Amino acid sequence: MRITIDLLQKALQNISQVSYAEARYHHRIRNEITVGNGAVEEAKSTQNEGVGFRVLVNGAWGFASTSDTSLQVMVKTLNDAFGMAKISASAKKTKISGLAEAKLAKGVFRSPVDGSLEDHSLEEKMNLVTEIEASTRKHFDTVKSAACTYRELIDHKLIASSDGAAAEILDSKPEFRITAVASKNSERISASETVGVTGGWNDLFRKDSAEEMSRKAAETAKNLLDAKEPKGERATVILDPGMVGLIAHEAIGHTVEADFVLSGSIVKGKMGTRIASELVTLVDSGYSDIAGGAAGVLLVDDEGVPARKTVVIEKGFLRSYLHNRETAAEFGVAPTGNARAFEYSDEPLIRMRNTYIEPGDYTTEEMIREVKHGYLLKGPRSGQADANGEFMFGAQEAYLIEKGEVKDLLKGVTISGRALDVLKTVDALGRDFAYDIGAGYCGKKQLAKVDGGGPHLRCKALIGGVQ
Amino acid sequence: MNLTENELLEICSLTVKQAVAKGADEAEAYGVSSMESEAAIERNDIMLGKYHQASGLGIRVLKNRALGFSSINRLGRVQIDSAVDAALQIASRGSSDPYNVLPKPSKIPRLSGILDPKAESFSSEETLRHAVDLLEIAKSYDKRVTVDSGGFNTSLYSHAIVNSNGVEGSESGSVFSWFIMGMAIQGEEVSSFDFQFDGSHHMKNIDVRTTANRFSENVVSSLGSKQCEACKGTLILSPEAAIELVLQTLMSSVNSNNIQKGRSKLAGRLGEQIASSGLTITDDATWTEGLAAGGFDREGVPHQPLTVVENGVLRSYLYNTYTAAREGVKSTGHAVGDEESSPRVGTSNVLMQPGNSSLEKLLKEVRRGILVTRFSGNVNPISGDFSGVVKGGHLIVNGEKVHPLKETLIAGNVFELLQNISGISKERQKIFNFYLPYIRAENISVTSG
Repeated sequence: MRITIDLLQKALQNISQVSYAEARYHHRIRNEITVGNGAVEEAKSTQNEGVGFRVLVNGAWGFASTSDTSLQVMVKTLNDAFGMAKISASAKKTKISGLAEAKLAKGVFRSPVDGSLEDHSLEEKMNLVTEIEASTRKHFDTVKSAACTYRELIDHKLIASSDGAAAEILDSKPEFRITAVASKNSERISASETVGVTGGWNDLFRKDSAEEMSRKAAETAKNLLDAKEPKGERATVILDPGMVGLIAHEAIGHTVEADFVLSGSIVKGKMGTRIASELVTLVDSGYSDIAGGAAGVLLVDDEGVPARKTVVIEKGFLRSYLHNRETAAEFGVAPTGNARAFEYSDEPLIRMRNTYIEPGDYTTEEMIREVKHGYLLKGPRSGQADANGEFMFGAQEAYLIEKGEVKDLLKGVTISGRALDVLKTVDALGRDFAYDIGAGYCGKKQLAKVDGGGPHLRCKALIGGVQ
Repeated sequence: MNLTENELLEICSLTVKQAVAKGADEAEAYGVSSMESEAAIERNDIMLGKYHQASGLGIRVLKNRALGFSSINRLGRVQIDSAVDAALQIASRGSSDPYNVLPKPSKIPRLSGILDPKAESFSSEETLRHAVDLLEIAKSYDKRVTVDSGGFNTSLYSHAIVNSNGVEGSESGSVFSWFIMGMAIQGEEVSSFDFQFDGSHHMKNIDVRTTANRFSENVVSSLGSKQCEACKGTLILSPEAAIELVLQTLMSSVNSNNIQKGRSKLAGRLGEQIASSGLTITDDATWTEGLAAGGFDREGVPHQPLTVVENGVLRSYLYNTYTAAREGVKSTGHAVGDEESSPRVGTSNVLMQPGNSSLEKLLKEVRRGILVTRFSGNVNPISGDFSGVVKGGHLIVNGEKVHPLKETLIAGNVFELLQNISGISKERQKIFNFYLPYIRAENISVTSG
C-alpha cells in the first residue's frame, strides 16, 4: 500500500490514553561516490524508509519505529511506543505537562531546487568525481594524492500528529568535497575545499565550479607544505564567513538550545541581557536568508512546526533560545521549529538549522588595515564547544597580519576562547556574507545537516601553536 | 521479529544468486537484523523510552572489476530486486580496477562470548533500571553534578555474509551499552563537559557505577579552573585522551588504504622503531571483552589477533581484501563497515600493553606538566600535527596536582610524542573497544592566558 498522510492518521486513531501522538514517514535516498588516487573507493546507492511513532503518555515520551508501513505493523509499532512511554513514566520525576500550541503545517512543502538531482545521471556524477580527483593531482608536482566525494540526500517525509499536523515535505541536499595532499620528503599535509547546499545540481556549484575547488585545494596544500608554525598567543583574529558560521553554531548555537539551557548552560537566566558586542546579531533560521542554498534549510520541523527565522542575539542582547514544542511550553513561548530527527528511526531533538551572524559595513580590506598584529583565519575545520562556552576549532589556513598587511601563510591553527568573552570583543563586521559549513554534519546523538555563515568578523581569541 | 542467522543467510544467498544471474562477475550480500531498547536521560531526568527493530542488506557487485554497491532496509523481493539492479547499474558505469576481488572462503571459527544467552529475556524495564542507576549514582556523588544527557541501550543483533566465491558466515551477539554527559555547576561557574561511556557483550559486566563515578569525579574536580603559564612540559594522557590524541592517528596511519593513498607517515616503515620501546599495540577482534569483537570481518575473512607495534617497532599494517590485493599480501581481516557501505579498512579492538609504573609514580616524577583527561582539538591524521584544548586537565608541579586548567592549549606532533614517551602506567582502562593505560610524554608546547 502506498503510504499517505491519511494512512498515518488512520494508524494514529488506533491509540487512546495518550496526550499526544505523532507519526513521521521518512524515505531517504543517499547516493555517494568517492574516488581516491584514481580508484573508486565508494560508489553506492542507499535507500531507507520507515515510520517513527512518538507518543506522550503520563508525562513521558515513548518512541518506536518500523520499516514496515502496513497499517497492521504500524499500529503494533505505535503500541510499542506507548509501552515504552509508560515504562519511562514510571521513573520520570518531572512529568511533561504539555506541548506549546503552534499553527501546525498542512500541505506540501518543497525546498527550492535549481536543476533536480534526479535529472543528472549517476554516470555524470561518477565522471565528475573521477575527473576532478585526477585533475587535482595534476596542478602541482608536490600534490600527488587526492580524494573526491560527491554525496546527496534526497528526502521525502510525511508528518501527521494527533493535534493536526499534516505535512508532506520534499527536500534534497547535495555536497561535494575535494581533498589534496601535498608531500615533500616525509612531510605530508592536506587541504580541502567543500560545499554543501539545500537544492539541486546548479545550486551546488553556484559559488565555485568543481574545477575551481580542485585548483584551490591543490594550491592550498602546496602552500601549506612550506608554511611555518604559528606562535601560540592571544591575538586579534579576522575570521572568514565559514569560521564565523562555525563560531555561531558551535560556540553560541549549542548553548542556546533550550534543552541544554534547562540543563544549565552558560546562558541560563540571561534572557534579555547583553551577552555580546552590540555589533552582533545572531540568527538561526529554517530558511536560507541573505544568500541562497544554505544546507540546513528545514521548511517544516519534525514535529510539524513550520520554519521561521529566530533572532537569538539582537545587537548584543539575548532574545531567544531554540525550542521544540516541549521546551517552548516550559518557557511559555512559541516553538521555533528546531525539532529534528535524522532518520525515520530517530526521535526528534532540538537542533540548529542555518545559524549565522548578520553582516555589518566594513570591507575586508578595511578590517585588515586596522590590525597591527594578528591573523586572518580561513577554512573552518572541525569544532567543539564546551558546557562553559569554551570553544575550540581549527582553521585550515592562518595568515599573519602585520601593520595592516597580510603576510605569510602559516600552518593551520586551533583557536579557542570562551564564547561570551570572545563575542564581546567583536569590533568589526564585514559587509560580505556567505554560508560555508554546509558540507559537514552536526552530531548530537544523531547527525543533522546544518549550515552556518556570516560576514568576515574581527575579534580576539587564543591561538594554539608552538612555544 | 528479528530475523535469525539462518533467515539472513538465506536472504543473502538468494541475493548473491540473483546478482550473478543478472550479470555480476562476483557478488556479496551482507545482512543484519537488530532489536534495541533504550532509556534516554536528559536534564537530570528520564526522558524517553525507545524501541527499535530494523534489518538491512548491503549488496556489493563487481562487473569487469568495477565496483557497485547498494543497500536497503526493507528486505522484500521487490526491494532486493531493485537494489541488485542499482548495484549492477553503478558497476556497469564504474571504472575497472584489477584489485577489485572478493575473498575466497576460509574456515570461520565460531567466537563464543559475544552473545549473552540471557539477553533475549532482558526486558525494557531492566534497561530503564540501569539508566536510572547511572543517573542516580552520578547525581549522588555531589550535588553540583548536572547530567545533560545519557542513556542505557540493550541490543541484540544477528548478521550474515555470503559471497559468490563460497564465503558464508553468520553470528549473533548482544550489546549492553551506556553513556553519560554533563557538567558541574557552582554558582555562576559551569565546569567543562565530561563524557563517559562503556559497554559489554555480557549482562554480568554491566557496570554503570564505575562510569557514573568517573564522570562525576571529572566534572567536580574541574571546577575552579585557572589558566597557567605557557611552557614546554610533560603531558600525562588519560586513556580517553590517549585515544583521541594518539591512538586514532596511529591507527589511521597503519591503515593500508591510507598508506596506499599517500595519506600516512608510516608508509614503508615496517620494522622501524616508530615509538619508544615501551609501546606495544595489538588489534584483536577475538578479544570478547571489547565491543568490536566478532568471528569474521565485513567481508567474511576470519578475525585473528594482529601485533601492530611491538616494543616500539612497527610490525604490521591493517588490510582488507582490496588493499591486500594491491600489495600482493593476505588480508589481515580488517574489513569494517555496516550494511550501508562497501567494506573499508579499519580497526577492531585496540589493546595497548601496560607499563610497569603506577599512575601515582608517573605523576610524582613530573616537574612541570599537565594531566589531560580529555582532549578537544584537531589532529592532522596525516602529518600528526595536533593543536587543541585541554579538558578537565590539571596543572602538575613537582609531582602534585596544583589546580584544574581552563583555556589551555597544547600543540605538538603525535609521531614525535610517540618517540618521547617517558612512562606507561600499570593501570589500564577498558573503553568500549579500547583497552589502554595512561601515557606520559615529554616536551609538549602549552599555551594559555
